[in-house]
Parts: sequence; structure tokens; C-alpha cells
Amino acid sequence: MAYKAPIDEKELIKQLQNEKTAHKAFETLLHTYSEPVYWQIRRMVTSHDDANDIVQNVFIKAWNNLHNFRGDAKLSTWLFKIAVNESINFLNKEKNRMQNTIGDNDDESALLKNLAADEFFDGDALQIELQEAIARLPEKQRLVFNMRYYDEMKYEDMSEVLGTSIGALKASYHHAVKKITEMLTS
Amino acid sequence: MKQEEELIKKYGKDPGMRVPEGYFAQLEKQVMQSLPDYPKHAPIRDLSRWQRMKPYVYLAAMFCGIWLMMKVFHSVTQPMSLSLDNPPEALVELLDGGVDYDSHYLPLYMGDYDMDEEELIMSYDNIEDFEKDFYSQM
Repeated sequence: MAYKAPIDEKELIKQLQNEKTAHKAFETLLHTYSEPVYWQIRRMVTSHDDANDIVQNVFIKAWNNLHNFRGDAKLSTWLFKIAVNESINFLNKEKNRMQNTIGDNDDESALLKNLAADEFFDGDALQIELQEAIARLPEKQRLVFNMRYYDEMKYEDMSEVLGTSIGALKASYHHAVKKITEMLTS
Repeated sequence: MKQEEELIKKYGKDPGMRVPEGYFAQLEKQVMQSLPDYPKHAPIRDLSRWQRMKPYVYLAAMFCGIWLMMKVFHSVTQPMSLSLDNPPEALVELLDGGVDYDSHYLPLYMGDYDMDEEELIMSYDNIEDFEKDFYSQM
């Protein structure tokens, strides 16, 4: 997913760290990154309602931690990192909740139930088939696959967000594509 | 990658997920309205010279303590070596001339010397009288 208008990150960071200009600068940040961050989360949790709650938490967290952002990484990397952590926390909580209530320990079934119940999913049979295969991937592989396949994110950026080497990410994506192909052809 | 191209060709890149009309504008509005006050930085304290030096002083004191403990341990566990700096006590006494030969060595050679017996021997005028008395008692 391409980001909106290019922004001068250094200037934006400076404005974000100044109390007087922070509010306006955060509005720019939100306008630039809300969409890619939302889609990153949505592809992980599948349901629009869950993604909506998480994306709001992500930006509130970012606001509360503005003074911790030192500008070593890109703003987008920092936001994606928060988004990935929040999504994984949400999925783990969901997994525990489902295990406790109905004894279902299956990540995949929870995601597919979310997708089937989501009024904002209008994919055809092929898209459902692909989403089912993606849901069967291990969590980290699923993240890598979504970032690369749908967002076309560079491996360098993914490496910063996920804290994994580029080589490992390439291997992970390769395995994910291979597994999905096998699942869809079997 | 051939498999990736086949996936894209068959399934495309649209996951079929949608959002409500005008969602992102609404989201931005909601987030901006729910932002708390600007986060206050933890005030950066101006550290005094002692506060800056404290960790290094503590570290140096710790090393001195360890060195002292090793020194004490070494002196307790190692046998005392003979050297001119550390001569044995008896040698020092000898060199100082403080040795009392009578008290140190005479008892060793005299054994259970009985002064009464000596007086007895000395009371004879000649040795023959002594021998006579001596053999007559056997």
C-alpha cells in the first residue's frame, strides 16, 4: 500500500516533539499513516471492528510515547512496529479467550470465523480460499507474507519492523508462498 | 519467483476486505478527539559532579576491596617464606645474642642430674674410698 503525500520526516519529528506544534503535526502523521497501518492490522486480525479498535490504540500509544521516539528509525517503521505488537497481543488474547471458553486452540479457525462474520468482507470464493491458506500459516510467516504480498514492503523495512534479518525474511516469504501453493493445489 | 507470480495471477492482490464509506476520515477525527494531553517528558536533572563521579568511585572502591581481600587471603593461606626480610624468630634471637645457653641446652645434656649425688661424691677425699663404698652397696 503506497503512502499518501510524501512528508518531510525530520521536520515532522521536530514538530511532534514540540508541545506547541505537536497536535497539528500529529494530525499530519495520522493522515499519512492511518491507512497503511490500518491495513497492516486488518490483514492480521481480519475483522474490521477489531482492526478499528487496534488502530486507535496504536495511534494513542504513539502519541503517548512521542518523547521516546528518537528519530533513529523512520516514523512508518516505528508505527508498524507498534501495530505489529498490538496485533500479536490481540491475537494471543483472543486465542486464550477461545481456549478458555470453547476449548478451541486453533488460530486459523478463529481468524476464519472473524472473516466469515465480517460484514466488510466481500471477497469471492477464490479470495476466501487464499485467506484460508494464509490463516493456516504460522503467525510470523503470516506477517511476512502479508507485508510482502499485499503491501509490497521492502525487505529492509520489514527487517526493521520485525527485528529479523533480511535473509531470514526472504526464506520465510519463500516458505510461505510454497506452503500456500501446496495448500491450494492439494 | 514462479509460484508467487502464479498466486498473483490466480488470486490477485485484493484480499476482499472493505471499510465503511469515509472510514479513514472518521478514524482520524476520532483519534484526534481522544488524544490525551501532550505527554510530559521526565525532567532531565542537572547532575552534580559527585553524582556523575559516583559510579566510578564505587567501582574503584569495589576493586580496592577485592584486591585487599585477595591480599589477606593470600597471606593467610601461603606458608611463610624464609628471606632476609622475614627471618625465623630463633635466628633473630641468636643473632641478637639473647639466647640463654644454660636454660636452653644444659638440661638437654644433664638429664636428671641430682645435685645431692654430686655433693656426695665430692665429700670423699679420694676416688678409691668412693669406689669401695659404691661396690659394697651393690
